[in-house]
Amino acid sequence: MFGKGLFQGLGITFKRMVGPNITEFYPEQKPVLPSRVRSSMGLQREKCICCNMCAMACPNGVIKLTGEKDEESKKRVLKSYHMDLGRCLFCGLCTEACPTKALTVTQEYENAVFEADDMKWDMIARAERKGKEG
Amino acid sequence: MSIDKTEELVLNMGPQHPSMHGLFRMIVHLEGETVTEIEPKIGYLHRGIEKLAESRTYTQFIPYTDRLDYLASPHNNWAYVQTVEKLMGVEIPERAEYLRVIFGELARIASHQVMIASTALDIAGWTAWGYAFRDRERILDMYEMTAGSRLTVNCMRIGGMSAEPPAEFWPALESFLDDTPEMLEEYYGIFFGNEIAQGRLKNVGIMPKELAENLSITGPVLRASGVQYDVRKAYPYSIYDRFDFDVPVRYGCDSYDRTIIRMDEIKESVKIIRQAIRDIPEGPIMAKVPKVIKPPVGEVYHRVENPKGELGFYIVSDGSTKPARVRIRPGTFVNLQMLPIVAKGWKIQDVVAIFATLDAVLGEVDK
Ligand code: SF4
Ligand code: SF4
Repeated sequence: MFGKGLFQGLGITFKRMVGPNITEFYPEQKPVLPSRVRSSMGLQREKCICCNMCAMACPNGVIKLTGEKDEESKKRVLKSYHMDLGRCLFCGLCTEACPTKALTVTQEYENAVFEADDMKWDMIARAERKGKEG
Repeated sequence: MSIDKTEELVLNMGPQHPSMHGLFRMIVHLEGETVTEIEPKIGYLHRGIEKLAESRTYTQFIPYTDRLDYLASPHNNWAYVQTVEKLMGVEIPERAEYLRVIFGELARIASHQVMIASTALDIAGWTAWGYAFRDRERILDMYEMTAGSRLTVNCMRIGGMSAEPPAEFWPALESFLDDTPEMLEEYYGIFFGNEIAQGRLKNVGIMPKELAENLSITGPVLRASGVQYDVRKAYPYSIYDRFDFDVPVRYGCDSYDRTIIRMDEIKESVKIIRQAIRDIPEGPIMAKVPKVIKPPVGEVYHRVENPKGELGFYIVSDGSTKPARVRIRPGTFVNLQMLPIVAKGWKIQDVVAIFATLDAVLGEVDK
């Protein structure tokens, strides 16, 4: 019969209409993302050995870091660490290259900003701010 | 004055147009509602990916391949890393091969789901759109828990995989596979079985077998024109020769067959994944490759069966850490040639349907 398919389709629609809801109510309910999700970057300053591997692994030159020699321990310590997130592909190659896992992916996803300059992150300042906020 | 002849109307569609799948533009010459000529214009999404490869190391280029056919990014990773592996003569561990097959076939399912949904949407089947996208979400969740991203997955490395799937991946995969028959039934019920959809797609945009072959069409679009050609069978790569699966072929040569053949392919992909889950061995997922990848001087071409057609990479190495030249042969770019030929003489709404059935992704066409 012509039109049978139409009714069949309507049947499916009605069945799903009374079924469970599958949409997420973001931003009222915030989803918890799996721990591997690469939606943001975080630096643990004390772990960093200033080896520059992350910056070399990056395809897009996102990471710029400088270090200085600590007179007491004779080790190199981080002086500045900047990321230009506007150029980041969120590919995770930097975190894979990091030998001490000082740089890791994090699951914060509300990273939208109004100004382009706000995408230039000072990772040390961010880490300190985060530490204070706990 | 005669009224049965109207003046030719030139209409611009795209690049910003809901049915243009990204940034495709076509200039349509119309006689009334009938299309007399189509001039496709591409390049609005050109990012110079081939050129970018020349200034990136071999590993650094992998994330860029995600951005070709972004609806099936594991396949692009796969084609690229296999090409480099072929150039270097690297054997990858068994487990990594199986994981690649699982991810590749999941990507095929996800890509076909998008194709079915967007074809429905392009011919105004709004409700049907949601169903396929709902199910694709589950595949994206599996990508996400394994590789950390939903769209630009970047899950393969030269020599293996980037990560071992977590424990919760396997039950999620099993339950997804178990639910596929019901999903396909629903797609059929809500879309393919619908008389309006059939009226819009059946016998529309006939591409005869000879034309398809002459235009070097590949992928499901070719197989819907009655040609049994699939790189996985014709030139088996990876471990495809170990699996028992069929290559679905349809003979209608029309838009309907070009769409519904994806349903058949999803069934075959499910079959392959089930066999892969059964046979997957334990072991490492990365081969021992040097930290700095420096393939020997030479050139190599390698192709895989992307969900949308044959995807090939041609790489020339000068022995340094960066490729001297990377050339990408995208399936949909070549498939797009059929549009001006096949769509001629159809009504303007049919052109939208014909274009939808090509499943073009402009990230891949423009590169
Ligand atoms: S995620 Fe990729 S693009 Fe972003 S900083 Fe790391 S390596 Fe660079
Ligand atoms: S790779 Fe890791 S340890 Fe080395 S500089 Fe980067 S963040 Fe620091």
